[in-house]
Parts: sequence; structure tokens; C-alpha cells
Amino acid sequence: MKRDYQKGWFFVLPVLILVAFNALVPMMTVVNYSVQETFGDNIFFWQGLDWFEQLLRSDRFHAALGRQFLFTGMILAIEVPLGIIIALSMPRQGPWVPVCLVLMALPMLIPWNVVGAMWNIFTLPDIGLLGYLMNHTLGIPYDMTQNPTAAWITIITMDVWHWTSLVVLLAYAGLVSIPDAYYQAAKIDGASGWSVFRYIQLPKMKTVLTIAILLRFMDSFNIYTEPFVLTGGGPGNSTTLLSIDLVKIALGQFDLGPAAAMSLIYFAITLLVSWVFYTLMTKDDAK
Amino acid sequence: MIRCISFILTVLLPLASAAQASGWGSVGAEPEPKGFSWTDPLWPEFWMAWTPATLVVFIGIFTAMAVITVIEIRSPGGAERRGILGLTTTRGDRLFISLLGSVYIFLAWLGIVGTPLWIPLGLAMLWATFCFWKV
Repeated sequence: MKRDYQKGWFFVLPVLILVAFNALVPMMTVVNYSVQETFGDNIFFWQGLDWFEQLLRSDRFHAALGRQFLFTGMILAIEVPLGIIIALSMPRQGPWVPVCLVLMALPMLIPWNVVGAMWNIFTLPDIGLLGYLMNHTLGIPYDMTQNPTAAWITIITMDVWHWTSLVVLLAYAGLVSIPDAYYQAAKIDGASGWSVFRYIQLPKMKTVLTIAILLRFMDSFNIYTEPFVLTGGGPGNSTTLLSIDLVKIALGQFDLGPAAAMSLIYFAITLLVSWVFYTLMTKDDAK
Repeated sequence: MIRCISFILTVLLPLASAAQASGWGSVGAEPEPKGFSWTDPLWPEFWMAWTPATLVVFIGIFTAMAVITVIEIRSPGGAERRGILGLTTTRGDRLFISLLGSVYIFLAWLGIVGTPLWIPLGLAMLWATFCFWKV
């Protein structure tokens, strides 16, 4: 092996040091916390694996985990097909391309807590534009502060509004990279629109779509700010997703031990799913 | 007067000595130094809440990473192969799959059965052996 090749490591070193301090050291601390109990003042008592055992058998955790998977599953089921449809209907050339791209990128430029606040004000039943229209003009009962179904519809719609653009932009990048020759060949063969999509566009978009699904999975699985600002986890516990519950335990109840155990289980789930996606993504490259 | 003295002698004195024996009056005293414990705080003043037990876990993980790094330097290429799961894995991948799988084995055991964890430890070692051998 050439010696020069090793120099690359020195360029990566600053990043490694940074990651060590902002990820690795806190992570090790979380592991230490997860087997101990503290009442503050940096005093710890050994607790063993009790927190893990309690958590894995607690209905509260199961419910939050179930809500989290439901949320992530629903937004993936909506955002991915919708993103592909929008990307397919966007112009590939001409003056409208930059306009469409900027319009698509706009929701992603808004800070997460602002998105939550916007949708909160937009959907409040008495003063929000949508809330007022639904309840008082159209007469359809819609109150995301009281009704769990309405709250779920609101957080799903908010996430779709905020993040479908990411899928659109990635899918669009995949689409524009397809050479014209493919379409011409399809035209000569008399392929239908569906065949063009199925056998040309979809395979070419596969890699970027996997990245899109991976990013959307991780982001939505770790989502906190937007639903917290919008519903605060309510009404009741109906929109208390995993991270909201975690923050409640860690900062509300100040139970650092159980919160640390929960973080580690949370991390293990995210790690497993991300690894599965990563393996699927790179499986074809390795052949 | 006699009744008072006999009350002090028969009731209060034994009570006081019993209280003394159970630790009263020694609140401010330094605790007896105990022997080594895996679960006591390692550096009580430090914020990371280390205990010998958790330290050993991380030493184990970092040692495993160091070992595969040394092997990689000795024979580069990562011993890449296609295992029975249809995945192309290197030594690092196999270590990662072993560790991640072990986490799930332990968590599943804790959730379904509970402590102690000797059986899942055996299962995790079998899983790691399987990973390095076949995956």
C-alpha cells in the first residue's frame, strides 16, 4: 500500500475530534447514566439494568413507540409517492425550472419551531385561518387542541408540507440525470407512460430515493420541535411521540436514569433501521 | 427519685447505647473505607458518572476496534467476503453486526425474561461467533 494514501487520515482528524466531543463523550455519559440513579448534585447511585427492564415493560413506552412508528410510517407513505409525483410533473428545462426549485426549497428554509408556531396559529379553531374556516364557515368540527384525530391530521399535514420538498428535490435530481437517449428508445419501442416510469425513471431514481427515505426516516423518527410547538404532545398523550416523551422524562421529571435508558433504546432502533437502509443501498454496488 | 433513676437505668441507657450502635452521633464521621466495588462511582467529582463496570464495557468495545485496526494494518483489505446472508462484509462490518445484534439480544431478554443475563450473554457470544464465521 502506498504511504501517501495514509495522509488522508490527518485531514479527517479535526472532524473526528469534533465528533468525539459532541457525540462520543455525551453518548458514553448517557450509557453511564442509564445504569444509575441521581437526585442531582452529581451524586449517583448504582441501579443496574432496572431502568431498561422497567422501560421495556412499560405501557407508556410501548404507546410512545407505537405512535412514533405510526407517525413515521404515515409520513413516509405520503411523502415518498407525493414527492415522486411532484418531481415528475416539474419542468426539466426552461425558465420555470429555477422558480419551481426555489418554491420547493422554501418550506425547508423555515426553522422548525417557526413551522410549528405557524401551523399552530393557522389551525387554532377560533383564531386560525384554517381552524376558523373549518369550524365556523364550513361547519366541519376540527379542533386539534381537543380532538386526537384532528391533532394527528394536523401534525401529518405539517410534516408533509415541510418535508415533501426534500423528496421532490432528490427525486428531481435523479430524474434530470437520465440521458435523453433512454426516453427516445422508449418512444421508438412505443412504451406507455407507466412503462417509462417503471423501467426507466424508477430504477434511475432508486439510489436517491433510498437516501430520501433514509433521511426522512431518521428525521421523522427523531422529530421533536414541530409537534411539540404545535400540540405539545396533546390532547392528552395522543401526539406524544418518542422524543417528546423522552424530553418529558429527562427534563420534566428529571429522571435522568430512565431517560438515558430510553435514549439508548431509541438510538439502537435508529441505528438498526439506518444500517438496514445503508446495507440495502450499498448492496448492489458491492456486486 | 428512685423510680426516675431506675427508669433511666432500665429504659433510656439501653436505648441510647442501641442508638449509638446503630450510628447515631456519628453523622459527621468519615465513612469506613470500603473495598473495591464494580458499581461505585469511579471519580465522584467528575461529571461523566463513570463506574468501573461501564468503563470496562467501553474498554472492551475500544479494544475490539483497536484489534481489528491492528489486523487491518497487518493484512489490509478487511478480509472482504460474501457471507450466508448475501451481504458483502469486512471485519469491521462483522464486528458492528455482532455488537448491534448483541444489543438486541440483551434488550429482548430484559424485556421478555429479565435479569440475570448469563443466558443472553451466551447467546450474544454465539451470535458474534456466527457473525465472524459465516456472515
